[in-house]
Amino acid sequence: MWWQWAHWLPLAVLVPLGFGVTTPAVAGGDGGRAWRWAVLGSALAAATTLALVVRVAREGPFSYAFGGWNPPYGIEFRFDEVGAFAFVVASLGMLAIVFSGRYAEHALDPARIPYFYTLLLLDIAGLIGFSVTGDLFNMYVFMEIISLSSYALVAVSGERTAEMAAFKYLVLGAVSSLLVLFGIGMVYGTTGTLNLADAARRLGGVGSAVPVAVAIALMAAGFMVKSALFPLHVWLPDAHAIAPSPVSAVLSGLVVKVGLLGTFRLYQVVYRTGIVDLAALDQLFLWLGAISIVMGAFFAIFQDDIKMMLAYSTISNIGYIVMGFGLASKFALIGAAVHIFNHAIIKSALFLAAGAIIHQTGYRRLSELRGAGRGMPLTAAALSVGAVSIVGIPPTAGFLCKWYIALGAFEAGRAAFGFALVFGALFIFVYYIRMVNAFYFQEPVHADVVHAGDPPLSMLVPVWVLAGLCLAMGLAGKIPLTFITPAISRLLAPIGG
Amino acid sequence: METVDVRVLLAPAISFACSGLVFLMGRNVFWRRFWSLGAATLKLVVVMSMLPGALRGTTYVWRFIEFTPGISIAFRADALGMFFATVSSTLWLVTTVFAIGYMEPEHAKVRFFGFFALCVSTTVGVAFAENLLTLFVFYETLTICTYPLVIHEETPEALRAGRKYLAYTLSGGACILLGSALTYQVAGTLTLSKPGILPASADPRTLAILFTTLVAGFGVKAAIIPLHGWLPSAMVAPTPVSALLHAVAVVKVGAFGILRVVYNVFGVELLRRLGFTVPLAYLAAFTIIAASVAALFQDNLKRRLAYSTVSQLSYIVLGAALLTPAAACAAVAHIANQAFAKITMFFVAGSIQRTTGKTQIHELAGIGHEMPLTMAAFTVASLSFVGVPLFAGFITKWYLSLGALESGMWWFAIVMLASSLLNAAYWLPIVYLAFFKGPHGRGTGSGEARLLLLVPTLLCAAWVLVLGTTSDVPGMPFALARAAVEFVFKM
Repeated sequence: MWWQWAHWLPLAVLVPLGFGVTTPAVAGGDGGRAWRWAVLGSALAAATTLALVVRVAREGPFSYAFGGWNPPYGIEFRFDEVGAFAFVVASLGMLAIVFSGRYAEHALDPARIPYFYTLLLLDIAGLIGFSVTGDLFNMYVFMEIISLSSYALVAVSGERTAEMAAFKYLVLGAVSSLLVLFGIGMVYGTTGTLNLADAARRLGGVGSAVPVAVAIALMAAGFMVKSALFPLHVWLPDAHAIAPSPVSAVLSGLVVKVGLLGTFRLYQVVYRTGIVDLAALDQLFLWLGAISIVMGAFFAIFQDDIKMMLAYSTISNIGYIVMGFGLASKFALIGAAVHIFNHAIIKSALFLAAGAIIHQTGYRRLSELRGAGRGMPLTAAALSVGAVSIVGIPPTAGFLCKWYIALGAFEAGRAAFGFALVFGALFIFVYYIRMVNAFYFQEPVHADVVHAGDPPLSMLVPVWVLAGLCLAMGLAGKIPLTFITPAISRLLAPIGG
Repeated sequence: METVDVRVLLAPAISFACSGLVFLMGRNVFWRRFWSLGAATLKLVVVMSMLPGALRGTTYVWRFIEFTPGISIAFRADALGMFFATVSSTLWLVTTVFAIGYMEPEHAKVRFFGFFALCVSTTVGVAFAENLLTLFVFYETLTICTYPLVIHEETPEALRAGRKYLAYTLSGGACILLGSALTYQVAGTLTLSKPGILPASADPRTLAILFTTLVAGFGVKAAIIPLHGWLPSAMVAPTPVSALLHAVAVVKVGAFGILRVVYNVFGVELLRRLGFTVPLAYLAAFTIIAASVAALFQDNLKRRLAYSTVSQLSYIVLGAALLTPAAACAAVAHIANQAFAKITMFFVAGSIQRTTGKTQIHELAGIGHEMPLTMAAFTVASLSFVGVPLFAGFITKWYLSLGALESGMWWFAIVMLASSLLNAAYWLPIVYLAFFKGPHGRGTGSGEARLLLLVPTLLCAAWVLVLGTTSDVPGMPFALARAAVEFVFKM
């Protein structure tokens, strides 16, 4: 079958990488041509990753050994159900690039536009690579590709505030990368291997648990900075709010997930070895997750800038997922894993819709955007769908995570955290309802908002594809849930099973 | 007997499609009215066509989509669900007619009629929900769809009321979500097709938490004191909204949810053994009396109606909590009895407001001379609330008192009596004021309300009389209520 071709896996990384690197040359200074080239590249990446998803759904996880050198000696790419995040990355990345066409023309210096697409494609390549790599060091390399391109993307507009935000992001990002690298070094030092599966095997026979525990602590801390878990979130709001909107969608929907995916990979290595008791880490994740939910919502309530609000909402949602990790029961982990996907979709929908509104009206504060529902009915409706979904009103995509983590909390015997999650979500509703009120039910302050009109199709279509997915992924929730379940079952399977 | 039949899906789907069409084509007055009325009629026909089968004991089911592994969004029209669906789809039609007349001078009519249809769609979704998760899905959707209707006026006061409404109902929804998750954990299923799913062997403390979260969650919309605060504030909504949503859809969804929890999640036998419903019965009795007392002091007609609703809803809760067949009959039948009488009153309040501009009770002196038919309808509804025989409210009071005696808690029959007196004390003075007092100065000379407002009012009032006199006629809704009770009590 077409999806069984072995080389799809390396291609999934090489295609966006290749297209990204060649964009400036192909474009020759023409922003439109750069856009078309980037759209083509991301579409091919999406098709490639789709083949991988089909294969993993039919056959289960599979590996690719570079140059025929088998792991643990050669470099291994390994694709499992969680790695299907690569498909989400490629498709959302494609939508963000499609959206960028008209947005970038307006918001960026024309000379920078080809490089902007290069950076976006490199970011996508890094994310796909990070999702599929089976090797700790390559994980770090891809993480750095993601981080460096992200710093640059935040600063791409060249404004002073953007440079400040990017610098803040850079400093914290570099520190977190160092932590992760140090952790990887300790794993290598104790086990003598960098291959994930091999490390998992060898950790069982390690004499002392202390270096392993330190390595886990360092990597978890580093990953949590990348995911902006409270109180390590300080870099996120500025960076995500100031970046151009399609970039915000990629950063908030996809890039922050690097930390969560990394944590999941770390779990895959250490979960079943039994060498370190992870109960303390679970406790920490539980509490920090719960606090993140509440604090993210708390900060968001006081924002007037619509993108700032969305940025803080990301912190709350990361809290959901981390809390799911901390509960460590089957339902909770499934809910958390599915929310990694669903939050990517929902948050991209929100950021792109917000971007379209900012693009059309030139305003970004709620108090100025009153009446946007009348001026841009389709965009505002998409934003409302996203808002309803992220708050977790059934039957939208955001609800699944709440339902599963609540089930998981009861399963783990930690009912209080189920309560915290569900009532924390109410808190989140407070600021989304402010947004809906401003768009639809409050007296407009600027006449141009009411007469703005919906954006061009190249922006409206990606927004509505994502809004539609917010609904579809909820109604057809069975599909992602059953898809991800084998990965969680393997993770939780008893030792030696 | 269960039959797979697409009509259970059609009933909510019709109003859903209607709202879509209204949003698309609603700028044109003709199409807006055409789709609203057409869908309301079609839906009524669909629901009514299931009625003979339901009376024969057939249960229609339809599995729509598997939502999460093992739990479908599924519809199932059992006797209780059919009863609720019949009431809400009948009232949707009359309220649509009324709303067309009432909303003419208002703004944002597309939004209004679009969300109006969505609300009815979700209400029937709740009625036909096969499992707790489906019920919850529609319950929450209903909350969201009602919000634009509550704040229709877009004034700061309306926005405040809307915020309060959401704060209350979404917190309730959160409780239900947790309760459902816990139910799934304990019972391993969420179906509502059995008389009780929770195992008797479960830990009583868990069951107590479960009962509290679920009843508190549904109790918000059923406006049990102290969870009732949103309802009087939400009266800022246009009158047809207050009528449909605060006499039928929203509040009845809460009461219906409590019936489902008592009868289909816990089951009568288990609850009798656990005794959780006794405090609930006391709370309901307290609500009945306290809300009536509060109603006495309201001068705004709609606010008095709101407090009366709070009081009347607890009849249903009390009926459920007494756990006897007669009380259960009363609880189910009161869904209809209260709805028709209360909606009549809301229509009267709306007609008076649109025709004369009056909203306060003290302004109503002599209005019976100008609007005799409207106020006659009001009188019928009042007498029903007081519980005069031959009116619908009497049936409820009779069976509820019977149930109280059956359960050995005779003091609840006294509560019924006291409530009747209080109802007389706050409704009959209005009738007196309207017919037996001359107007202060000159009357407004407005005459009756226009036909679009008057006809629905009179129809509903007439139906109150029909409900009150036909409880023994086979084929009438009361037979459905009996069928529901027989299923629940395994008779």
